[in-house]
Amino acid sequence: MKKIIFTLLSIAIIFSSCKKDDEPEFDRQALLDNMATNVIMPYYQTLNSSLILLHTEATEFVANPNSSTLTDLRVQYLATNTAYQHCSMYNFGPAMDYGIKAALNTFPTDSSKIETNISAGTYTVGSLSNTTAIGFPALDYLLYFGTDAEIITKFTSDSKAANRKNYLTDLTSKMKAEFQPVLDQWNGTYKTTFIAADGNDVGSSCSYLLNEFIQDLELLKNARIGIPSGQQTGGATLPQYVEGYFSNKSMSFAKDQLDGLKIAFTGGTGIGFDDYIMDVEGEEVTTSLATNINQQIEICFSKMALITNPLSTEVNTNFAAVNTLYLEIKKLLVYCKTDMTSMLGILITYQDNDGD
Amino acid sequence: MTAISKIKSTFFNWHREIPATTLAVYRIFFGALMLFSTARFILNGWVHDFYIAPKFHFTYLGFEWIPYPNPTILYFIFAMMLLSSIGIMLGFFYRFSAFAFFILFTYVELLDKTTYLNHYYFVSLVAFLMIFLPANRYFSLDEYFGFVPQQKTVPNWTISILKFQIAVVYIFAGLAKLESDWLIHAQPLKYWLHTAHHFPLFGDLLKQDWVAYFFSWFGCIYDLFIVFFLLNVRTRIYAYFIVIIFHVTTWILFPIGVFPWVMIFATTIFLPEKFHSSILNFLGKIFNRESKSTLRSTYFVGPDYKKIVHFSLGLFIAIQILFPFRYLLYPGNIFWTEQGFRFSWRVMLMEKTGYAEFYISDPESKAQWPVNNSDHLTRLQEKMMSTQPDMILQYADYLENQYRDTTLYLGENVFTFHEPEVHAEIYVTLNSRPSQLYVSKEYNLAAIENNLSDRYWLEEFKE
Repeated sequence: MKKIIFTLLSIAIIFSSCKKDDEPEFDRQALLDNMATNVIMPYYQTLNSSLILLHTEATEFVANPNSSTLTDLRVQYLATNTAYQHCSMYNFGPAMDYGIKAALNTFPTDSSKIETNISAGTYTVGSLSNTTAIGFPALDYLLYFGTDAEIITKFTSDSKAANRKNYLTDLTSKMKAEFQPVLDQWNGTYKTTFIAADGNDVGSSCSYLLNEFIQDLELLKNARIGIPSGQQTGGATLPQYVEGYFSNKSMSFAKDQLDGLKIAFTGGTGIGFDDYIMDVEGEEVTTSLATNINQQIEICFSKMALITNPLSTEVNTNFAAVNTLYLEIKKLLVYCKTDMTSMLGILITYQDNDGD
Repeated sequence: MTAISKIKSTFFNWHREIPATTLAVYRIFFGALMLFSTARFILNGWVHDFYIAPKFHFTYLGFEWIPYPNPTILYFIFAMMLLSSIGIMLGFFYRFSAFAFFILFTYVELLDKTTYLNHYYFVSLVAFLMIFLPANRYFSLDEYFGFVPQQKTVPNWTISILKFQIAVVYIFAGLAKLESDWLIHAQPLKYWLHTAHHFPLFGDLLKQDWVAYFFSWFGCIYDLFIVFFLLNVRTRIYAYFIVIIFHVTTWILFPIGVFPWVMIFATTIFLPEKFHSSILNFLGKIFNRESKSTLRSTYFVGPDYKKIVHFSLGLFIAIQILFPFRYLLYPGNIFWTEQGFRFSWRVMLMEKTGYAEFYISDPESKAQWPVNNSDHLTRLQEKMMSTQPDMILQYADYLENQYRDTTLYLGENVFTFHEPEVHAEIYVTLNSRPSQLYVSKEYNLAAIENNLSDRYWLEEFKE
């Protein structure tokens, strides 16, 4: 018996050691290393510097509110938002601990709550009830709610101008202050923790990446496109529910977010989920699921290109195009939620399983 | 002796007296394993996660009437399960303990089919059998205290029926593997093994296709024939060695829980008697106890004893053999329709993942509302429900009740539901096939009864 086992083991080891050398070695640790080093941390770095600049621009604007400083602040707001969209899906680890996703981008924003806060002059920007009155969507309102002249007036001659100035810088200061420790933790020990959790069980980094990738894609489908266009509510369109309602940049934000998801899927120029999929499939597969997903992402981009900013009017004037986009994102979601999840064997819950 | 006569003598000489050691050891193993497995379940926090956290419970057809316990009672039940498994292990108030364990364990299993596992079913069946076996007549506290007379022998049927139960598990698991996904495509094992590459030394090996085919074919042959090798006196020791290797391998590779250990300990029943008596000698030394008496059997309860044994065993065996074949009564692919899938020893056969979107609509007010599944189900429940037809219907039924006569608001829009319809769009991928539509929006699922009839409302399966 021992002989048989020894023989079997020897054969196995010989077979495994005569693998072709030229095929690239895939392993989850390499994927995580690439995601941390070349994707998550650089994008986090960009977002962090961008948030710092945003606060600087906001401070300059309130010091001297005119059309020039407003323009500068708006440019920086849009750039920071783009940076955020590329980080939006990494909602785990430090970002999860600090509640970044809810703090930075809960939309639609509640403009009446913002006005109430400004009138009162006393508020806690971090309180749960103010989640809909802070972050990018609140800035979107403050910087775009009317004509340039109206906005500048609100920050200069209005009776509550001082309060409004404080509110604006309180928001940008909070955003900056909240994200800094997230980046610090990644620069500290979390990167090592992240790469070391290379299993496929619950709590592994791959399970975080996959789950948050899917959740963010659902956010795109439901919150960004579905709800405003009435997909979720039997045709009753809700234009005011779009992201970036006041700046009219809803489609730009959606494109940025999808771009972030695409980079998360491909791992940028390095090892990503697409390589993982191809590794599991092996060589005999004719059309890789990775190819299908990449193509579907491109289809979604092309459908997005047919819709112009702002989405809030397009949901009524160009409904067919919005509807098509919704269905294409849904196709992408089906690929990711069923085929990809199934193939990567990443567990979503901790439970015994006998495969039935 | 030929294999056939060997099997005949093992299974059919029901009233031959055999040493009581085997049954006593089996009792100790079973009690100890149940103690471990129940403690593990509690310590993992699963009592809360699986039975307290869910708002809605997927009951079994025919058992909807079972009352759902509150958390305090639930923890009390698990505490009683611990105590009764200790009772089984020590042979202390054995019959009562076995009965209590069977009732409590089965009751908990029946609360929610989300957590159905074949090995839980196996445990329920063995616990049921244990109630009727005189496993406390030797090396037990019951006989030590004189509650029951000591017996050095027990009738052969007490062991045979346990062997039969193990044979059922293996052989049906083997028969279930005789299908093309498993044998021709080596799925789902191939992809499962591909993702197991983080194992040192063997990681790369597990990615090789031939390894998947080897595991698939070996697993199938193992399941079909291992019992026969275990029954054969000349091969049983080697066969048991294979049992250990096989189950330890599955334990390392897959998140399969205690099942491998259940089978490794259960199959000791096939080992020679001297294995069991050496275990008892060992335990006897620890507890400074020697078996002393050589009393003859005294369980002869009456003239109808043999008739009752024959009838009950015959009935049990017939049900065990016929029940897993009920899938033959239904058209379609069993992996797709899952008619007759549970309670038929289909283990490790299927990788099925789904994505389910449910919509509530009211035909009168024309209101429509998408359901956020996580508002109603735990992640595990959602995952299981998305691919299992009976759970889809149960969930639809639950949603109908949840949304009946409700009004929802979104901005200035008002959505009113009186007699809501529940539609769903569900996509499923099965054993590495591309995802395909499983349930279309066409049916009002709330109007479809969850019963044993054909699942016509599922989309057709595309190979």
